[in-house]
Amino acid sequence: MTQDSLPFDARPDPMIGAALRRALDAGEHDRFVARVLARAEQLRAVSWDAVLARWARLGVAAAVLVALTAGYVVGRGRPTAPERATVPDAVLAPSTSAPPVEVVFASLIGN
Amino acid sequence: MADPPDPPQPPGEVARIGQQDETALVARAVNGDRGAFGTLVERYAATARRVARAVLGDPDDADDAAQDGMLSALLKLDQYDPRRPFGPWLLRIVANAATDRRRRRAVRRVEPLDPGFVAGGTRPDRTAERRALAQRLREALAELPERRRIAVVLFDVEGYSHAEIAQVLGIPEGTVRSEVFHARRRLRALLGDWKEDG
Repeated sequence: MTQDSLPFDARPDPMIGAALRRALDAGEHDRFVARVLARAEQLRAVSWDAVLARWARLGVAAAVLVALTAGYVVGRGRPTAPERATVPDAVLAPSTSAPPVEVVFASLIGN
Repeated sequence: MADPPDPPQPPGEVARIGQQDETALVARAVNGDRGAFGTLVERYAATARRVARAVLGDPDDADDAAQDGMLSALLKLDQYDPRRPFGPWLLRIVANAATDRRRRRAVRRVEPLDPGFVAGGTRPDRTAERRALAQRLREALAELPERRRIAVVLFDVEGYSHAEIAQVLGIPEGTVRSEVFHARRRLRALLGDWKEDG
């Protein structure tokens, strides 16, 4: 062990280093690496699922929007059928042509 | 096809892996190259585990934290600045993961002492003696402030420079020197006592 313990000593202490390494090494290096890589694969799969789900949601939303727009355009462009007049409409609606003169006079004389 | 991962680096060598090589590996990993990420994990796993254990003490907790840190780094790889060394960037994430885990831990678990070393036990053989020293070193480390522990492990075990450790810890380089100095003083005293006892 180096006896120099100045704060500006820039050299690693090999004895402290070796002792600490022994104290902190947990072993099973390959097993740990395999565990991290397996978890990384799971994360990748999860992130791909999330991407696909996001695209699927966007796709559904876009399809609904397109369907609504198409329905609106088609519905607006079609000519509307003339409405059939009901009986009260026919009775109450004013005539589009002026009544004959004799009819007007007859009604005046009658009153 | 992805390259097979390189064999583990000897302790202390990780800090000296060429930055160009690592930048290329990171670029490949960002683009989804599993082999490149595997190589990075292989190279840094031992260091990450030691740093996490210096923070947490418990080996299982430390492995969980090291794993969390490495996976977090994988998700953040696109944020890594390739002009800077990769090791300190990764180890900062690992150290933060370990610190977070320590804060969340409700009850601190203590590793049981080797039965051969409890008072009145039989005289330990050499292997058991080493294990006992390791146990005492871990206990001594646990008494140090967290930043001091990480600093001395990165400096004396992993071979990082004061400047690189300053990046990991986010503190000035002069503070790193001071932390290493105080940690060494404590550990040297312990090792000295151990020799005298032996």
